[in-house]
Amino acid sequence: MAYTAEISRLNPSCFLFLIDQSTSMDGPFGESAGKRKADGVADAINRLLQNLVVKCTKAEGVRNYYDVGVIGYSQPNEHDTNVGPAFAGALAGKEFVPVSEVANNPARIEERTRKVEDGAGGLVDQTFKFPVWFDPITNGGTPMCEALRFACRVLEGWVNAHPSSYPPMVINITDGESTDEGDPLQEGERVKTLATNDGNVLLFNCHISSHVGSPIVFPDTKAGLPDKFAELLFEMSSVLPQGLLAAAQSEGYVAGAEARGFAFNADLVDLIRFLDIGTRASNLR
Amino acid sequence: MVCCASTFWLSKAGNAPEEYEDAFQSVPLLECFAIADGATESSFAGEWARILVRAFATDSSLTIASGLEGLVKWLEPFQREWFQTINWEGLPWFAEEKARAGAFSTLLGLNFEKRDCKKDLPTSGSWHALAIGDSCLFQVRDDTLLRAFPLARSEQFSNCPPLLSSKQGSNHGVLDQACLAEGSYQPGDLFLLATDALAHWFLGQFERGAKPWVELSAIPEQADFEMFVTQLRQEHLIRNDDTTLILITFPSITSGSDERTSEEKGS
Repeated sequence: MAYTAEISRLNPSCFLFLIDQSTSMDGPFGESAGKRKADGVADAINRLLQNLVVKCTKAEGVRNYYDVGVIGYSQPNEHDTNVGPAFAGALAGKEFVPVSEVANNPARIEERTRKVEDGAGGLVDQTFKFPVWFDPITNGGTPMCEALRFACRVLEGWVNAHPSSYPPMVINITDGESTDEGDPLQEGERVKTLATNDGNVLLFNCHISSHVGSPIVFPDTKAGLPDKFAELLFEMSSVLPQGLLAAAQSEGYVAGAEARGFAFNADLVDLIRFLDIGTRASNLR
Repeated sequence: MVCCASTFWLSKAGNAPEEYEDAFQSVPLLECFAIADGATESSFAGEWARILVRAFATDSSLTIASGLEGLVKWLEPFQREWFQTINWEGLPWFAEEKARAGAFSTLLGLNFEKRDCKKDLPTSGSWHALAIGDSCLFQVRDDTLLRAFPLARSEQFSNCPPLLSSKQGSNHGVLDQACLAEGSYQPGDLFLLATDALAHWFLGQFERGAKPWVELSAIPEQADFEMFVTQLRQEHLIRNDDTTLILITFPSITSGSDERTSEEKGS
């Protein structure tokens, strides 16, 4: 049965994040006043990386259950594309690193505040550490096809080196407006054709949009999506494997049997929570 | 005569023995036993599991018969103990964030209360058990499974059971799912306490008409248990996870003594 391989240090899996760094990401992000889509993307990828690190953390340190890559894509002019590793700080230029290296090498750790209940019916500010590996950058067009081809190249090597592993998961975070030559749907299919013995590579999409509307996560139909870009990204997205679907459903998501790994103006942090690396508490959120 | 108990354990294949996060405590003299399974997806979970079983088996201030209300209060000093085992100052950001979410563990505790009887004679009496999560108790009598607690079918296992948190205030919903059970025991009875991987295998075998307690109760030594579980793992018959078993037997009248208790003589 596919997508049942144990994720362990001996048999790690892989995350590859593709990050849209085009100028269109300067546009406003949903209903968030003053926030750009590029800021939404940076927050999404940093939160994903943080969650991945914390998921793999044990008392003695971080266990290397995953290899992690972050690929940025932009197109400063008609003839040139910038597609390549996008970690900031000490990891700059690296294609894949084990998750422990991600943990130990954020570019910086910011102090942020959030509102929490004070136990007496009110809210108080609580500071928390927010590690940053990726800064918002915007630069020209959106060579999504080239980014998917790049993903195909690097993942081909990874699946050949890890034939028994849980298949790699590619999370593409974008506003969806591909501008380079080619059909992103077709390039996405090529990525999904790669496979380990445990199943095909999973391609998930996180659509960050200027459209005002309720966030959508794990839809099973494109009906109700706000525009053609969202529809395209939905079509590119893999159907959730049974294990991830069951975890999503058991935690309250209304996800049909054909639900896809797609989010509109929301992040996919919960996907990381659903991945099975061992017993987790039903009361640990 | 007190019961006889054997304990066996094996860490998850691919993990070092010191990464074992189940825990067990067996105190035959007090007829008190506990196992716990620290959750992989929390840190300092092995420490929490060990604190819980030691607390259950040796701290008489918790009596199962008093119900769940006392459990919250009973847990508090042990939650503080867990917190104090951590060198918070030395933790990097990710380890601190993980530890602040608390450690999580199952707990299955069992104690026996014997009826009045003459010293050195086989005993009978009652048992009480408390369970949070999917570590299981099985009672076998006359080669028949008499009781499976708290789970009775293999399909009831999942990878996110309710677990006890080391963090105060995080156990409200979980304690609603805590289970209490009681029953009686008599000479010749066999009790098995198993963490989830073995318990799941046990129930699956039983559902297929097998008698898994026969194989388990025949295991003489730790090395034999390791071979037995390793074989099951290689055949993909059991989930690769930390695995723990406590076997408790009460000597039967025929094997232990030809005398009977005063109560049995009167019956």
